[in-house]
Amino acid sequence: MSSLYEGPVQNLVDELGRLPGIGPKSAQRIAYHILKSPTEDAARLADALTEAKARVTWCQTCFNLAEGAECSFCRDDRRDRTIICVVEEPRDIVAIERTREFYGRYHVLQGAISPIEGIGPEQLRIHEILLRIEPEGVEEVILATNPNIEGEATAMYLAKLLKPLGIKVTRIASGLPVGGDLEYADEITLGRALEGRREV
Amino acid sequence: MHLARLWLTDFRCYESLDLTLPPGCTVITGANGQGKTSLLEAIDWIATGRSFRGVADSALARAGSDAAIVRVDAMRGSGVVRVEAEIRASGRNRILVNGQPLAKRRDLGDSVRATIFSPDDLELIKGGPAQRRGFIDDLLSQSAPRYEVVRSDYDRVLRQRNALLKGGVRDTDARTTLEVFDTQLAQTGSQLIRARLRLTDRLLPAISQAYADLAREEPAVRARYEVEWSQSTLTDDAKEIEEEILRSLIIMQSKEIERGVTLVGPHRDDWRIELHGLEARSTASQGEQRSLALALRLGGHRVVTEVLGEEPLLLLDDVFSELDPARSEALVANLPKGQTLLTTASLLPDGVKADRWLRVESGMVSEVE
Repeated sequence: MSSLYEGPVQNLVDELGRLPGIGPKSAQRIAYHILKSPTEDAARLADALTEAKARVTWCQTCFNLAEGAECSFCRDDRRDRTIICVVEEPRDIVAIERTREFYGRYHVLQGAISPIEGIGPEQLRIHEILLRIEPEGVEEVILATNPNIEGEATAMYLAKLLKPLGIKVTRIASGLPVGGDLEYADEITLGRALEGRREV
Repeated sequence: MHLARLWLTDFRCYESLDLTLPPGCTVITGANGQGKTSLLEAIDWIATGRSFRGVADSALARAGSDAAIVRVDAMRGSGVVRVEAEIRASGRNRILVNGQPLAKRRDLGDSVRATIFSPDDLELIKGGPAQRRGFIDDLLSQSAPRYEVVRSDYDRVLRQRNALLKGGVRDTDARTTLEVFDTQLAQTGSQLIRARLRLTDRLLPAISQAYADLAREEPAVRARYEVEWSQSTLTDDAKEIEEEILRSLIIMQSKEIERGVTLVGPHRDDWRIELHGLEARSTASQGEQRSLALALRLGGHRVVTEVLGEEPLLLLDDVFSELDPARSEALVANLPKGQTLLTTASLLPDGVKADRWLRVESGMVSEVE
């Protein structure tokens, strides 16, 4: 779009439009909203941005979001050091934490292997996990990347690196959602669930 | 299953149409360019979510309108299923089944299924391997929806692997990544090949019989799944196919890295279709090729009917222009029992038993007495 607004307004629209999932129309709408709202509101947003950017970094151990050198999970001594759950993004940690089933530590790859987007192992925090195995006495690594082509490829890549180290490497299962009806399951998920069936 | 009623609004040359259809055979006559094919196209869109002519949805709205609307009442068992599609010139289409929005396009086929034949299908015989792969893979998706996903997974793996090869495989990281995509290519590729081989086994007798019925001769069609990246004959054991893909990938690796593209896998395969022992693509006459293309569609129709236990609609576009009078009569004599719509610009062969005769003129449909 050509510049239709006064300098600062156009700037704001352009910057908002660079955010993921925000198209030109939404950028305009948000910009208007900010301009119409009281000065304090806009200042709070600006402060939140600056402060978050200044104080939040990547955890130097697991590459989760962190305030300081390490994230809250890596600082928490009650969490099991011998088991690491590997995820693609920090938001995946939130999902796994909600289960309250996992008491180990995490490792955030910050993406998945995708040659189409120019992302190979070296663009991810893949090799960094190798440095953690021995010092932390890791016995099991759970591969919890997404169940799509790129996530599976990343999990296979990690398995190739980790298995020779003689530790247990596991992949999360895929299957049916709990509380649902079989008849509403899509045939792909149901097919996978059948493949991964187990004896009772 | 049959369509009891069809409504069109602003679909190609149709401003507005409300048509009831009998469960049997409907013949649609009319001069060229009046809208015969558009009727079939609208029905096929409701079954597949796309135009069989391969044109974009944006080309389906009548000139000057933003959206085409196709609505049908399909009779299934004892009930009526109403499928409505708003095909927009730009933006997302809206599809409702019994008033409920449809999440995935591939679920469309659960309500209405159709087999369509058009003169362009000659390309199935004369065209390149991609045409034949498309034909088989579409039949696969119809008979087992899971293959729609196997196919899209395979395409995704292929694109990732090609991107990797194109970017250059120089260091250990890239080599290990290539190994990973080799494994995925072999896994998804073997599932696709096994499914194609099994379908070929079912399809061939049906095609051969359909051709024999048209030509009034002994069955003389053969088809072989051809794999150029391997010398061995593939069985329908997925594990063996997977291993064969992996073996071939090793042999072809340096060539693949040099050329920056995947040379092994089902995206390179073809069917060699033979008539009387000779390859149909290069040696059959034009007339034989046309009959063979029709036999492919009719054979596919028969297999889908068997697998699903329910006959799809049969849509035959301008089919008699493709056949000599004897074969036209043979087609009419051997039409399947289900609902059939056929269009023609010329005279009909003897023996056509139409339950309804319609004439189309500039987007208006009238009854023929």
